[in-house]
Amino acid sequence: MNTSPFHKKTAEAPSNRRDFLWRSGGGLGGLALASMLGREPLLGSGMLSGTLHHPPKAKRVIQLFMGGAASHLDTFDFKPALIKHHGEKSDFGEHVEAFQNGLGPWMRSPFEFRRYGQSGKFLSDIVAPLGGVVDEMAFVHNLVGKTGVHSQATYLQATGFQRPGFPGMGAWVSYALGSENENLPTFVVLPDHRGYASNGPKNWASAFLPTSTQGTTIFPQRENPIPDLHPKVGFVTKASHRAGIDLINRLNAGYAKSRVGDDRLEARIKTYELAARLQLSATEALDIAKEPAHVLKLYGLDRTQKKYPDKINVPEETEYFGRKCLMARRLIERGVRFVQIWSGNDNSFPRRNWDSHEDIERDHAPLALGMARGAAGLIQDLKQRGLLEDTIIHWTTEFGRMPSTQGSKGRDHNPYVFTNWLCGGGIRGGTIAGESDEWGYKPLDRANPTQVYDLHATMLHLLGIDHKRLTVPHNGIDRRLTDVHGHVIEKLIA
Amino acid sequence: MKFARRFWMLMVPCVAMTLPAAVSYDHDVRPILAANCYVCHGPDDSTRKAKLRLDTEQTARPILRDLLKRISHIDPEKRMPPPKSGKKLSAAQITTLRQWIAQGAKWEKHWSLKPLRRPPLPKLTAGEKKWARNPIDHFIRAKQREHGLHPSPEADALALIRRLTFDLTGLPPTPTEIAAFKAAAQKDRNTAIEQLADRLLASPQYGERWGRHWLDVVKYADTCGYDKDKLRPNAWPYRDYIIRSFNENKPYARFVQEQIAGDALFPGTTDGILGLGFIAAGPWDFIGHVEVPESKIDGRVARHIDRDEMVSNTINTFTSTTIQCARCHDHKFDPFTQKHYYSLQSVFAAVDRADRTYGVNPETTTKKANLTKRISDLNKQLAAIEAKIKKEGGPQLASLDKQIAGLRLKAKLKSKRPEFGYHSTIVKSPGTTKWVQIDLGQAFDLQRVVLRACHDEFNNIGGGFGFPVRFKVEAALTAEFNNAIRLFDQTQGDFPNPDIAPVSFEAKAKARFLRVTATKLARRSNDYILALAELEVFDATDKNLALKARVSSPDSIEASVRWRRTNLTDGNFPIATDVKAIGALQKAQAERQRIAAKLQTPERQARRKKLQGQIAAATKELKSIPQGQMVYAAATDFKLQGNFKPTQGKPRNIKVLHRGNIQEPRGDVRPGTLPIFKDENFEFKLPTDHAESARRSALAKWITRKDNPLTWRSIANRIWLWHFGQGIVGSPNDFGRMGLLPSHPELLDWLAVEFRDSGGSFKHLHKLIVTSATYRQTSTVNNQFAEIDSNNRYLWRMNRRRLEAEELRDSILATSGALNKKMGGPGFYLFALEKTAHSPHYEYHKFDPADPKSHRRSVYRFIVRSQPDPFMTTFDCADSSQSTPQRGETLTALQALSLLNNKFTLEMSNRFAARLQKEAKTLRAQIRRAHQLTTGRPPTVTELAALEKYAQQHGLPNLCRVLFNLSEFTYMD
Repeated sequence: MNTSPFHKKTAEAPSNRRDFLWRSGGGLGGLALASMLGREPLLGSGMLSGTLHHPPKAKRVIQLFMGGAASHLDTFDFKPALIKHHGEKSDFGEHVEAFQNGLGPWMRSPFEFRRYGQSGKFLSDIVAPLGGVVDEMAFVHNLVGKTGVHSQATYLQATGFQRPGFPGMGAWVSYALGSENENLPTFVVLPDHRGYASNGPKNWASAFLPTSTQGTTIFPQRENPIPDLHPKVGFVTKASHRAGIDLINRLNAGYAKSRVGDDRLEARIKTYELAARLQLSATEALDIAKEPAHVLKLYGLDRTQKKYPDKINVPEETEYFGRKCLMARRLIERGVRFVQIWSGNDNSFPRRNWDSHEDIERDHAPLALGMARGAAGLIQDLKQRGLLEDTIIHWTTEFGRMPSTQGSKGRDHNPYVFTNWLCGGGIRGGTIAGESDEWGYKPLDRANPTQVYDLHATMLHLLGIDHKRLTVPHNGIDRRLTDVHGHVIEKLIA
Repeated sequence: MKFARRFWMLMVPCVAMTLPAAVSYDHDVRPILAANCYVCHGPDDSTRKAKLRLDTEQTARPILRDLLKRISHIDPEKRMPPPKSGKKLSAAQITTLRQWIAQGAKWEKHWSLKPLRRPPLPKLTAGEKKWARNPIDHFIRAKQREHGLHPSPEADALALIRRLTFDLTGLPPTPTEIAAFKAAAQKDRNTAIEQLADRLLASPQYGERWGRHWLDVVKYADTCGYDKDKLRPNAWPYRDYIIRSFNENKPYARFVQEQIAGDALFPGTTDGILGLGFIAAGPWDFIGHVEVPESKIDGRVARHIDRDEMVSNTINTFTSTTIQCARCHDHKFDPFTQKHYYSLQSVFAAVDRADRTYGVNPETTTKKANLTKRISDLNKQLAAIEAKIKKEGGPQLASLDKQIAGLRLKAKLKSKRPEFGYHSTIVKSPGTTKWVQIDLGQAFDLQRVVLRACHDEFNNIGGGFGFPVRFKVEAALTAEFNNAIRLFDQTQGDFPNPDIAPVSFEAKAKARFLRVTATKLARRSNDYILALAELEVFDATDKNLALKARVSSPDSIEASVRWRRTNLTDGNFPIATDVKAIGALQKAQAERQRIAAKLQTPERQARRKKLQGQIAAATKELKSIPQGQMVYAAATDFKLQGNFKPTQGKPRNIKVLHRGNIQEPRGDVRPGTLPIFKDENFEFKLPTDHAESARRSALAKWITRKDNPLTWRSIANRIWLWHFGQGIVGSPNDFGRMGLLPSHPELLDWLAVEFRDSGGSFKHLHKLIVTSATYRQTSTVNNQFAEIDSNNRYLWRMNRRRLEAEELRDSILATSGALNKKMGGPGFYLFALEKTAHSPHYEYHKFDPADPKSHRRSVYRFIVRSQPDPFMTTFDCADSSQSTPQRGETLTALQALSLLNNKFTLEMSNRFAARLQKEAKTLRAQIRRAHQLTTGRPPTVTELAALEKYAQQHGLPNLCRVLFNLSEFTYMD
């Protein structure tokens, strides 16, 4: 049985597997896939391969999610045709439904593109910091979505379904693999410092999986970075806290002793011990004060400021995104299975995310530069520590943006094609799996686009899981992360 | 389409090692076929292979012999199911099928669809009869006996009063109540329990506890969910309606009917409207409805998903059937097709989720209807006069009308940019003076000034948005406007709305500053503003001197990019397809008025005046009728909001969608339901000109049919589950073939019939259950029985349970003396609410739990769907994004941290300490009292010693914090 503090324990062994799965579907379970398969639980990293569908290449995931929809055309997907035809009336060759009818003339990116690395991959100047690690990265330029509505699109990329009520990918991975460190959460979410993106915590909810699989949010800048980690009140002292837990455990042990046969009561005492350990380990994991200067510099954290202007700006994006990347490294180093980092708050004014309907240059430049510095630092740091080889980094967003203008300097939503990239954890660096057409409007090969299911299937595959076999029955259906779709993208795998 | 594999079937040694002598189709055979064969040989036509169908007797019986051969074939290529399906039958499963066929292959209807009959009571021995208190115990005892189990002894008085009080009210019993019950139980235990049950069922707290169970299933929340997660300020009347309905013991059939079609089946009643909150209770995509029109694919997808939510909420909740599985393809396991599913979508095709009025009494409703009709009649008479005039006006008037219609099209908005213009702050009164001015940088000789009006779809205003009704334009050499020259004065009379035509006037003056002052503001919704797209100032060479000029004003909403001061001089304003057409239109309209005036006879004028007077009077009277309050519910008529438009009762055309894809419509469907009654068509018999509500009425009546086997079994199972923590059927929302089988099928039927025949009385069933010997058992584990039935499926003891999130929070409030039992009303916040204009931020970490507004029962909290309360979520409260028929019960370190460190528990520890100091003098007495309040009993000598020592060292608040963390506080025996 998995004894992570974030993993629950069932009181009574169900009479048969089917019953058990029904109950875990209702939220009563809490066993990882490994134990469902009838083997001993995995607590150490060394045991992974023996318990999974096949030997894994990766053990953990860091997902970078750009809220509001980041433009592929101004970051990773270079389109010379847009330079050539800049300002000309756009012609898509077919009727286009754009979210806000932003179908003005073709618009080139306001940023220059240059070649990087052995692969000679073009990157725009606002993601140039990633140039140094571009050969580690694999790009998917032909990803297609299903909708240009922010909320549904965010759900689709985060949970595989475009409506509420489904577990986030991190919850599925937690459910399947459990934790490597029982003193830390299995799935951690680092939201944008300004607040949540579309759908808020529902993007990392457990839905019908056990609630222990949901993402634990950490706001490093808050007094209590994890809710309720420490008592913030005058009357509780270190001594009263420690003695209090001792007394609670003693009295609860008495209660449990007079009620033999109810495992929950013993387990509950254990949760108090784990809570005490979590207070120490989480505090230690989040404390970046002891990181050496060269590491801070690597993440762009060498020149932080006390105050930042109201509008999106480079130093602020660099600090907050870099800090989250560094924290992600510290967390996965300590056994956290899945870390999700968000860039971008809600779709509001003044802009505080990637939803650049008005001005690509104004919003994308600072957001992308901050993101690229942090992400590049993370990749380099993981590599030098030997962690990159079994850690997948996945960069994603809601959808792309149109090659035509909206209001002269902005771009409307483009759910018809956009870009994701991956690296580490068994990913073949320096490759491109799928191109967009010359405008970056739709996939080059329209009959064979990539969908979120394929990426989810590929990442699960690298983690040692067959996406078709990781299922949980819920209200009449065996639910899985990939619904009834998904193919492993062989080209992405090293 | 490939269906998910049930991988666990491969891993698990067969459960049926000890097969009963007679193999049951329903229990033993169908589960094997459903899990392994139905994907290719089941109800779904589109995925059927080799034209073989194994789910109906008619199609399967002729091929049974072949079936046996194929499932045990030596050649893996020929063996069924094929290896590539990932499915495999175990030896035991094959044996089961073989035995079943050998025994004559008896088919049975699926258990949940069998007709509902009251089963006879199982026979008990004399000894067993002594134990049994009512029919429930007969069924339970019989099953226990079957499995070699015996009942546990009756629980002690403290356990019983805690159990009943939490179960029926969600609150802990007070020390006085415990003492009274103990005394009464000593005299006559049965009577004491009966009276206790009666008292609790009669208390208003009963509805608060049981209403919450219902709200779990229907996904109730006070926000919409999805992006933005906007507030639903009028959701709570439905929540209060649910609580009241439970307290009033509303007959279940009526309860169901009100929630699906109360408006049509119980017209003029408040509950008939409030009940419709059910249809609207789930999540709703604001952007997909308000910002995207139904003409776009994304808009249609959002509405399709929304209807799916209504259908599944209704069918899952009331009939425990997973009909949503048939949205993209025919149901893989149950005999339902896409056509059945879309016929259910058609039932809800005219309704949306929106605010609607309720609480208007029947007389008022009639009066309102009469007045509305009168106004409409008067308008018709008025129209008749106009028609006559038109006729007499002949071709000249006709051609003018044609011209006007043409010009209207030309005068339409061609384009506008996202930079709308300048927008003042919003005020409540039109009389407020507002101004905005520009600085040309130096003095110029001016020739002409042009004002451009804004265009904004807000409140359907469009052109002329915010353009002042009365205003003046002045020019001056100084910013203070000393010796100002008045260029244009429209302060004495109303200026007609210019739409997006330019308002141009001569302005011969030398000036550096220009100011537009509005003395009567334009209406926005129920408030007023000044807005202007552009202010242009031309010199003799027709150069716009105002371009990029500095703009100042006392206020501005500055909501970039649409609204900001700089937009007034940025050269951007809405452009008409044909600007000249606007002028021509205004001219043509004046001309028409002139001609029409000539045709006015004095009689006609008098008649018209009279009619207009009558219309005005009737309208005024209509407005004076109380409008009632608002509830968020299913509606066909509501205030238009952007692209979210009411259907006015006209159902959307529903077609079967291939693969659930909105872009692949197939055949039309008519309103209907599940085909569970053999001799009846699943489509409703409705006249062609039926009102949309007739569809919902038909569904409501079908669900509440006395012979609907699903409805009554479904609710009986839910009630049982909420009492015992486990259902007779372990999958309360799925009674289909992939759901679980009932542990006590006869008991379920008995309960269903008893409930139905008692008039659908919840309280009747509660009373039976909580006074049964089964319910009164101890929760102590007997090792011998645990080995036979570790899950306690056969109830050889009562289940010990942890308090649910609401019970826990309410208990902490009650114990610390802070609980305010006020009922009903808008939900209280457990967060700081920020940035409500666009996407509200719900900041839980900024909330102060000392706020007395929040010291009410948790059922009244404002439930945020996308950003749920972290404390409540930690304790497994229902997730309003999905139906929660049964709460989870997890154990995590986060729970320990929440009970130890959450601001709420810490604040309440302080309150509790203060209460104790008031109620007892010495520390020892305070600790005794505290223990009594948290656990219902005094502490033992050792407990007291330990607690006292701790309290002496760390103080009373720390002690209270410890007590809130006791398992004995959180668990109920």
